Amino acid sequence: MRRLALAGLLLVAVLAVAGGLLAPHDPLHQDPDLALHAPTWAHPFGTDYLGRDVLSRLVAGTGATVVAAIESVGVGLLLGVAPGLASLWLGRGVEWVLLRAVDALMTLPFIVFAVAVTGILGNGLTQAMLAIGVLFAPLFFRVTRAAGLALTRAQYVEAAELFGASRARVLRTHVWGKVLPTVAVTAAQATGGALLAVSSLTFLGIGVQPPAPTWGGVLASDLGFLAQQPWAPIIPAALIALTVAALNTLADDRGALRAAR
Amino acid sequence: MTALLQRPPAPARARPAPPGRARRRRHGWLGAVATPVVVFLFSSLLTFSLGALSPSNPAAAVLGETATPADIARMNHEFGLDRPFLVQYADWLGGALTGDLGRSYFTTIPVADSIFAALPVDLALAGLAILLAVLLGGAAGIAAALRRGSRLDRAVTVVASALGTLPPFAIGIGLVVVFSVLLKLLPAGGYIGPQHGLLPWLRFAILPALALSLDIAASIARQLRTSLVAQLGENYVTGAVVRGLGARRVLFGHALRNAVGPALTVLGVAVPTVLGGAVVTEKIFNLPGLAQLALQASAQHDVPLIQGTLLVAVTVVLLCNTLVNLALSRVTPQGRRP
Amino acid sequence: MLRVDDLRVTVGGDLEAVREVSLTLGPGEALGLVGESGSGKTLTCRAVLGVLPPGAAVAGGRVTLGEVELTSLDRKGWDRVRGGRIGAVFQDPASYLNPSLTVGRQLAEQLRLKRGLPRKATRAAAVDLLAAMGIRRPEAVHDQYPHELSGGMLQRALIAIAVAGEPELLVADEATTALDPAVQAEVLELLGDLRARRGLALLLVSHDLAVVAEVCDRVAVFYAGQIVEQGPTASVIANPRHPYTAALLRVASLGDWRRRELEVIPGRPPSVGASGPGCAFAERCAHAAEGCAAPVPLSIVDDRVVRCHRAGELALAGA
Repeated sequence: MRRLALAGLLLVAVLAVAGGLLAPHDPLHQDPDLALHAPTWAHPFGTDYLGRDVLSRLVAGTGATVVAAIESVGVGLLLGVAPGLASLWLGRGVEWVLLRAVDALMTLPFIVFAVAVTGILGNGLTQAMLAIGVLFAPLFFRVTRAAGLALTRAQYVEAAELFGASRARVLRTHVWGKVLPTVAVTAAQATGGALLAVSSLTFLGIGVQPPAPTWGGVLASDLGFLAQQPWAPIIPAALIALTVAALNTLADDRGALRAAR
Repeated sequence: MTALLQRPPAPARARPAPPGRARRRRHGWLGAVATPVVVFLFSSLLTFSLGALSPSNPAAAVLGETATPADIARMNHEFGLDRPFLVQYADWLGGALTGDLGRSYFTTIPVADSIFAALPVDLALAGLAILLAVLLGGAAGIAAALRRGSRLDRAVTVVASALGTLPPFAIGIGLVVVFSVLLKLLPAGGYIGPQHGLLPWLRFAILPALALSLDIAASIARQLRTSLVAQLGENYVTGAVVRGLGARRVLFGHALRNAVGPALTVLGVAVPTVLGGAVVTEKIFNLPGLAQLALQASAQHDVPLIQGTLLVAVTVVLLCNTLVNLALSRVTPQGRRP
Repeated sequence: MLRVDDLRVTVGGDLEAVREVSLTLGPGEALGLVGESGSGKTLTCRAVLGVLPPGAAVAGGRVTLGEVELTSLDRKGWDRVRGGRIGAVFQDPASYLNPSLTVGRQLAEQLRLKRGLPRKATRAAAVDLLAAMGIRRPEAVHDQYPHELSGGMLQRALIAIAVAGEPELLVADEATTALDPAVQAEVLELLGDLRARRGLALLLVSHDLAVVAEVCDRVAVFYAGQIVEQGPTASVIANPRHPYTAALLRVASLGDWRRRELEVIPGRPPSVGASGPGCAFAERCAHAAEGCAAPVPLSIVDDRVVRCHRAGELALAGA
């Protein structure tokens, strides 16, 4: 199961990096004669309403989709982990403010917030992912804080502090070793969530200008033509679902590993 | 006979009287109400500062390229944009609390009017979605817990985890394909309000509501199954059985009461998901809701409208969370909550 | 009234944890079941209540209460008998009450369902019942949650709930075991009191002969899933006929417990299903002889039913 998930993710990674080079056709080339065509040898996933090759669009769209998802998780890590640790060691006042800020962020619905942010900061994938990343911060904040909280009570950390190790040193040597695995598992899960969010946003036409291909965009272009091609959404939807499932499998597996240690 | 058991002298068993429950419960209420207020202030500040981050000058955007600096200044003054940030925030929040969210930059229609025209769609839809989620998820979770290890139990587990990996809109599209395109049973989009009759409304609302609810139903089912299985193994359930309470009474009156806590929490967390999912669902089913308004506002960089929709969304989430917390405090007695 | 005939309970499909157990209990009588843990006494009483743990099942024999055959009841039939004709209390009373309902609500449920009291009348009846159980502040306890009460109070509350339906039989499974000695004595006194005043029959399960001696007229001693000796409590204690009973008497907190030396029975009981056809106690028995490997029939010696080859010939010390 884990190998299958790893292989799948590796394939997605290759597609993300090589992207357009691997696409059998030009993802932007329109061929009105071939519009809404069922799968053939030349077009294994068929064509969309403008006669563009669906396989090529999916392959070429991988890069933007995956990069966007990773970007948002990166922002979440950046904004979540450090404050999570800070809330434990910088005193009650800081803790209170951070906890309330996290509560406030958790009331913001992902998509609604991303739509609002792109409306104000401009319609780009970077802005949208910044918004999603900000909303991931509470997740990382909580996970880091929970893992750190157990440590503040651990005797060896106390002992290290007694021996005069500087706070920064204690954080570096002891805390990272314990907090990092938890954060890594959460990051894997969050990447799955981020993929779903990116797909939703690109489906809505947010973050990407129309001709550029993304996974969500391919799904959206099928929407108007369900009567002619009811099976068309299955391919991009399955692609997204399988990638998310692979990430979840990996996260669960890492979780099991951690528990065993 | 009694001489056989020599009793040791009874130790003094002075137990302190438990503190008055009424006082502690009031404290619980206070916490459940005070925290959301603080959180609301934080969220509204965040929402408002978002507008201040806007790189474009709204007046310039609205008036177009022919506007003179004097025109822009006049318009800035008209919208109150030339005042200090915190004054603007306090003014905006004060207005928001009295139902005034400002006017759209483009249509100059009061934001509150646009929102309250769209909100009933979302409330009706979200209400139906949550009802469906509770019914479907509850039934599946209970059935799986009662027949642990059966084929039904495994089916619930598999379907529930599959639903968690699907993109939210895939479920919606799938429902359209099956019920509208293939079976031709229900309309693929459009909307009429429940004031035009319950059945006509349901015809339009059931698919989007189902699309919104399945994901949450899956979480509820998983959570409820786990906690109910744990509760059914508890001694008090045996105790209730031994008292001759019927199977239904033992389940609904005793075991479920202690098992719904985690599922209720899921429901609280799910409210933002429902609202977020509503954006996509409204797009698929072409519904005139808050999300369509937000999308339109976003496309036009209409800052007051964006802020207004976001603030209303946050308020709805907070209200729902508070309700869930109050429900939780009623279900579980104070001393047992962590 | 209660009659157990040749009861067999299996665990995990085919291991016999209770074998050939037969008991009778008349109206207002009190019978004690004693034995070490795993001796089958608790499984026997759970079979009487119809709540065997997962994996355990009645494999043979009959349990009847009056004219009702309990072993053939469906769930609906059980629900009529339990609470109304049989009440039960257990060890660790806190865990047998619903933690998120007040004591009063659980008592009221019982009064409404099993005595048909109208909703309005339940509070007064519940408070009266709690007071009758010797609870000093019944009004306050009525509105408290289980976690707010002490072990002794909880056991009284649980007894109140058990007798709310005015049953004819009360099953008490290690009901006083976890309580401190003073409270244990009070609860036992309450049980004796209920028996005297309400004509309640008692089936008392305990590992402690002293507890059984306090309230029961008759006692059945369990060993390895079988009853090895059964008879009037006083004469069993004064004059045991089975070597295991005698051993149990030496370790029980009978007589002057302060001067008693700590004693244990050497060896361990056989694991479930592992005993052969002969006497299950022979391995640990100080009086074992060659003939003990043969199957042991029940014999009647004086006022006793004993399962021992040498029951007639041994002179064992009592307490």
